[in-house]
Amino acid sequence: MILCVAIVGQQNNPLYLQSFAGGDDVLKFHYIVHCSLDVFDEKASILRRTGTNLNDNFLGLLYPAEDYKVYGYMTNTRVKFVLVTSDLELKDLDIKTFFQRFHAAYIDVTSNPFHVPGKRIASPMFRDRVKTIVSSFGQL
Amino acid sequence: MAPAKPGDAAFANVDHVNAELFTLTYGAMVRQLLTDFEDVEEVNKQLDTMGYNIGIRLIDDFLSKANVTRCSEFRETADVIAKIGFKMFLGVTATVSNWNADFTECSLVLDDNPLVDFVELPETCQGLYYCNVLCGVIRGALEMVSMRTEVKWARDMLRGDDAYELRLKLIEHVAEEYPYKDDD
Amino acid sequence: MRAGSREVAESCLDGITMEMVATYCDRLHSSKPDLAARRIEAIGFQVGQQLAERYTRDRPRFTDHLEVIKFICKDFWAEVFKKQIDNLKTNHRGVFVLQDTRFRWLTRISVDSPLTPSEANNTTLAAAQAGGKYLYFPCGLIRGALTNLGVPCAVSAEIAALPACSFIIRIKV
Repeated sequence: MILCVAIVGQQNNPLYLQSFAGGDDVLKFHYIVHCSLDVFDEKASILRRTGTNLNDNFLGLLYPAEDYKVYGYMTNTRVKFVLVTSDLELKDLDIKTFFQRFHAAYIDVTSNPFHVPGKRIASPMFRDRVKTIVSSFGQL
Repeated sequence: MAPAKPGDAAFANVDHVNAELFTLTYGAMVRQLLTDFEDVEEVNKQLDTMGYNIGIRLIDDFLSKANVTRCSEFRETADVIAKIGFKMFLGVTATVSNWNADFTECSLVLDDNPLVDFVELPETCQGLYYCNVLCGVIRGALEMVSMRTEVKWARDMLRGDDAYELRLKLIEHVAEEYPYKDDD
Repeated sequence: MRAGSREVAESCLDGITMEMVATYCDRLHSSKPDLAARRIEAIGFQVGQQLAERYTRDRPRFTDHLEVIKFICKDFWAEVFKKQIDNLKTNHRGVFVLQDTRFRWLTRISVDSPLTPSEANNTTLAAAQAGGKYLYFPCGLIRGALTNLGVPCAVSAEIAALPACSFIIRIKV
């Protein structure tokens, strides 16, 4: 299952973190997300060198750990999305689809004229939409 | 006899832009006005004034492209605004309802509102009528066809209501004036 | 990119942008044209940032600044102004000049903007000046989009002869 989704800004500033693990693990997820940031740029440049062009935004598995996996996605505006899951058997396609839907939601929340770039996202509409995207993970 | 969907024909008759560009531009402007004025009432007034100035120019565009004849009754006018006016410019329609006894006042309920796409008002904007520009547009346009009106928001979803409803009130038919004024 | 998305009449956008200019340049800050310019540019900046996010959603990653500028000249300009930039020049030292021989928002002003008697005396200069205030917003759009795409810059504009104009991008090191 999806444990956590997060957004990190252009200056590696935390913009959003939503935990679905139902516990007090939020700090742990902040730490996991923070650790994944180094891998982002590394992964992005590797993909560029190998000429992988299909949906450049999706960076794939950032790093596996014992009981969870961390996936990354970076927009052209260098905003980073992080997905932490406990399910170790997820299909790349499902994760890519998830990130694309998440990206669409991100675009819409930043299209709010009162959105402040660089500030944490606190929109209830966004939160609800992310919940929906998470709960429909793996479905068409 | 009006064609089946005169609003659609009018909409097809004009140049279009992506609604997002319009929505985002309007939103950024409202936000800047709020920063510059700090007083929400002032911003409401500015939006109304801007709308008025837009409306007095828009009417010519409308009359030439929408293929409507001058309305003799206010009832007809409201219908034209709802079915053709909104459609031609914003691509949405409105429903006319709640007429008063002598047909000088009615409601226009929008079935959709591109101005508010993506908008979430912060707490600090209590009292703002985000779409106030529309009041001015309608008032300005109608003044150019000799009707003095008052247009206000009765319901606004950004303020927690369940619909976007304008209250349109005819104050008086203005006598046709000689178009050239001595002073300006 | 935009299949099935919502549209409005162009006159709505024209109305808003013209009134934005009238409000800031003629009503609010008529004695402070620089302040008016900054306010309008700031409005454009926000929209540019937001459009950059939206319009680059599905495209491959940019590899350098030149690619971002080309994106502005082609895809971005086409989405916003329904045509591409006609000519792109650079001095290869961080300055780019984008020429639009028929800038959409300048094609209307000779019809709508009344000229004062002094302006009417020197129509070319006057037209350029009258048109200039309609370029603050597009400058902001460009700067907002570029900044959000990782290219910090300053953007200014010049009118040679209506309706042609140039946007000058100076990349900040």
